[in-house]
Amino acid sequence: MKQLKTVFSFEFLGYAKRKSFIGLTLVMILIVAGVLSWGRISEIFKQPAGPEEPGTPAPAAKVALLDDAEGAAGDAAFYNAAYANQGFEFVAVNLTKQEAEQAVTNNEYDSAIVLTGPLTYTRIVRTLGLYDEFAQRFNETMLYHYRAAALQDHGVDQTQAQALLGAAVKGDVRFTAEGKSQEQSFIYTYVLIFMLYFAIMMYGQFVSASVATEKSTRAMELLITSSRPTSLMFGKVLGTGFAGFVQMVLILGSAFVFYHFNKGYYTDSYVINSLFSMPVSILLYTVLFFILGFFLYAFLYASLASLVSRMEELGTAVMPVTMLFILAFVVSMISMGSGNVDSLLMRVCSYVPFTSPMVMFARIAMGEVMPLEIIASVAILFLSTVVVGVLAAKIYRLGVLMYGTPPKPSNIIKMLRNKS
Amino acid sequence: MILEVRDLFKSFGEKKVLEGIQLYVEGGRALGLLGRNGAGKTTTIRIIMDVFPPDSGEVLCDGGPINRKQVAIGYLPEEHGLYPKIEITEQLIYLGKLRGMKAKDARAAIAKWMKRLEVDEYAKRRLETLSKGNQQKVQLVATLISNPDIVILDEPFSGLDPVNAALLKDVVKEIIKEGKIVLFSSHQMNYVEEFCDNIAILHNGKIALAGAINDIKRSYDRNVLVVRSLQKDAIMQYCLNDIKENIVTASMHRDYLKVTLKAVEQKGAFMAALHAKGFDLDSIGVYEPSLNDIFVQYTGEEPQAEGGKAQ
Repeated sequence: MKQLKTVFSFEFLGYAKRKSFIGLTLVMILIVAGVLSWGRISEIFKQPAGPEEPGTPAPAAKVALLDDAEGAAGDAAFYNAAYANQGFEFVAVNLTKQEAEQAVTNNEYDSAIVLTGPLTYTRIVRTLGLYDEFAQRFNETMLYHYRAAALQDHGVDQTQAQALLGAAVKGDVRFTAEGKSQEQSFIYTYVLIFMLYFAIMMYGQFVSASVATEKSTRAMELLITSSRPTSLMFGKVLGTGFAGFVQMVLILGSAFVFYHFNKGYYTDSYVINSLFSMPVSILLYTVLFFILGFFLYAFLYASLASLVSRMEELGTAVMPVTMLFILAFVVSMISMGSGNVDSLLMRVCSYVPFTSPMVMFARIAMGEVMPLEIIASVAILFLSTVVVGVLAAKIYRLGVLMYGTPPKPSNIIKMLRNKS
Repeated sequence: MILEVRDLFKSFGEKKVLEGIQLYVEGGRALGLLGRNGAGKTTTIRIIMDVFPPDSGEVLCDGGPINRKQVAIGYLPEEHGLYPKIEITEQLIYLGKLRGMKAKDARAAIAKWMKRLEVDEYAKRRLETLSKGNQQKVQLVATLISNPDIVILDEPFSGLDPVNAALLKDVVKEIIKEGKIVLFSSHQMNYVEEFCDNIAILHNGKIALAGAINDIKRSYDRNVLVVRSLQKDAIMQYCLNDIKENIVTASMHRDYLKVTLKAVEQKGAFMAALHAKGFDLDSIGVYEPSLNDIFVQYTGEEPQAEGGKAQ
C-alpha cells in the first residue's frame, strides 16, 4: 500500500509539475473564460461607439419582387409587413427574370423573388445559406395570402379571415418524473460525451505512454526490482486518473464560475443556458462513467504498453483498444444525431463494458432508461473493470520483463496460463 | 551475512532457463557471476531480487529465507536506465521511497553518494543532460541509496572512461570492505579478477564452474611452463629436437614460449637442461590460465566446455 501511495504521488505530481499539463489546463480555462465572457467583452467594445449607433439595425437584405402573377400572390407592401424587423426589404421591380438575375449577380439586390402564380414562385440567389429561414417564412406568408384571398372569395370578410388564419394552437408539454426533452438535453449530452471521449482517450494514452517510456528508457529494470509490478501499474493508473479528474474539475469549475459571472449576457443564448441547466445527476453520471471508463481503458492501455520495448511500437500495440473506444464514440454520436438513443444497438452497447461508458451515459441523458438498467450496466462495467484490472496486472507483470518483438495475443494467453 | 542460492530451477514455457543453480557468498566478499548472454545470470539475479519466484529451489540469507523487509538489495542493471526527463534528485527520492525509505533519509543518502561519486553538482539537473559516464554514476547512486546489504552489479564498468572506472572501482572496493555482499556480473574479466575471490560460471542454465579463482587457477595441470627469453626460437628448436622425448607440445607466442611437459616431475630437469645449455632466460614459471581463458574454456564451443570439465 505504501508503494502504491508512493507511485500514485509520483505520477500525480509528475503531471501537476509538467509544463504541458499546466499549459493545457490554463489554455482550456482561458478558452472557457473567453467564450463565456464574450457577451461582456463585446459589450465593452460596443460602448465607445457614436451616440446614434447603438441599436442601429444591420442594413436589411434587399429582395427584388417581380410580380408575374399580377397581384395574385401579394405585393411588396404585403411581404414587407410580414417580414417586419426580420432584416429583409422587398422592393417591387419591373424587370424580366433575366434582368433580375443579372441585378442579383451585380449585387444590386441580395436576392430576387419571381411570383409566378398564387402558390408558385422562383427565388434567385447567389448563395443559399445552410440554415435558410427565409424560404419557410416566405412559403407561410404566401400560403397565408392565398388562404385569406380564398376565404374572402367565399364571403368571409377580411377581419374574420385574419382571425381565422391567425388562430394558433397552444400546446403544453408535461414531462413525467423521468421524462426529458431531447431538444434540451442534446447539447449538454453532446458536450459531455465529447469530454468523456477526450478525457478517457487522452488519459488512457498518457498511461500507455508513461509505461512505454519506462520500458524504453529501461527505468523499468530498476522499478520492478524496487517495488511490486502491481503497485507500479495501479499507482500509475490511479495517479494519472486523478490528474485527469483534477484537470476536468478545474476546467468545468471555471466554466461554471464564468457562466454565473456572465449569466446576464446569455439570457437569450439557448445553447449556453441549456449547457448550464443540466441536472446535477447528469454531472454525477459523467464523473461515474469517466472513472469506470477511464480505469477500464487505462488498465488495457497499461498492460499493452508493458509489452512494447520501444516507443515506436506503442501505437500499433494499443491500436485495437483505441479502435474499440472510437467505435463506442461513433455509435453514441450517430445515435444521438438520429435522436434514437434507445435503439437496439444502443441498448446492447449499453451493457457491453467497452462501449457502455459513453452509450449508457448518452441513453441516461437523452433516452428512456429504467433505474434497473442503469444499475445492471454500471455493475457489469464495474465488474469488468475489476476483471480487466486483475488480468492487466498479470500481463503487466510479465510484460515489463520482456524485451524484443511484442508477443502475439495467443502467446500472452499461454504465458498467463504458465503464470511465469 | 551469508547469501546462499540453493538448487534454483526455472523454466519459461518449454524453455529451461535455470537448472540447479547454487551460489554461496559471504559478507565482505564479491562473487563473480559469469556467463555468456542468455546463460541465466539475469534470471538468477531476478529470482534473488524476488522479481519472480523460482520453479523450485530457494534463496537463503544466513541459512533462512530472506526477510525482504530487513535485508535490502541494491541492483545496478546491465541495461542502465532512469527517467531521462526528470530531475535526478526527484527520481532518486522516488526510488528510495519505493524501497521503504523516508524522503528525508533518501535525500541524505543521495547527497552522500552523489558527492562520493562526484556528481553532486548535477543533483538538480535532468538525467538526459549528463554525459553517459555521469549517468552511470547516478545509476550507481540509485543502487546504493538504500544502504543495501547485498549489492548486485551487472556490467557496472561498461562505457566508462578510465578516470570514472577508477572512481567506481574504489567505491566497489569500499562497499566490499564495509562487509556487504557483492554479486558482480561482467564480461570484463580484469575487473572480476580485481574484486572477486570466487566466481560462478553459468552455461546453459547450469553452473559450469564455481569456486575460488586462485584454487581454480592452481587446479590446472602444473606441467605447462611459460618460458620468457630473447632466445625463445633457439629454445623452441632445442625442445623439438634435443629433448623431444620429454615434451608433449611447445608453442611460440608473442613474448613467451609455452611448453607442455609429459610429467610434472620433469619440471626441474627441464629447467636444469636450459641452464646447462646456457640460454639467456628471463623467467620460467608454471602457466596459469587467465580468467578469460577459463571463461572461454567453459562457455565456448569447445567439446570440453560443453561437458563442464571439473577441476
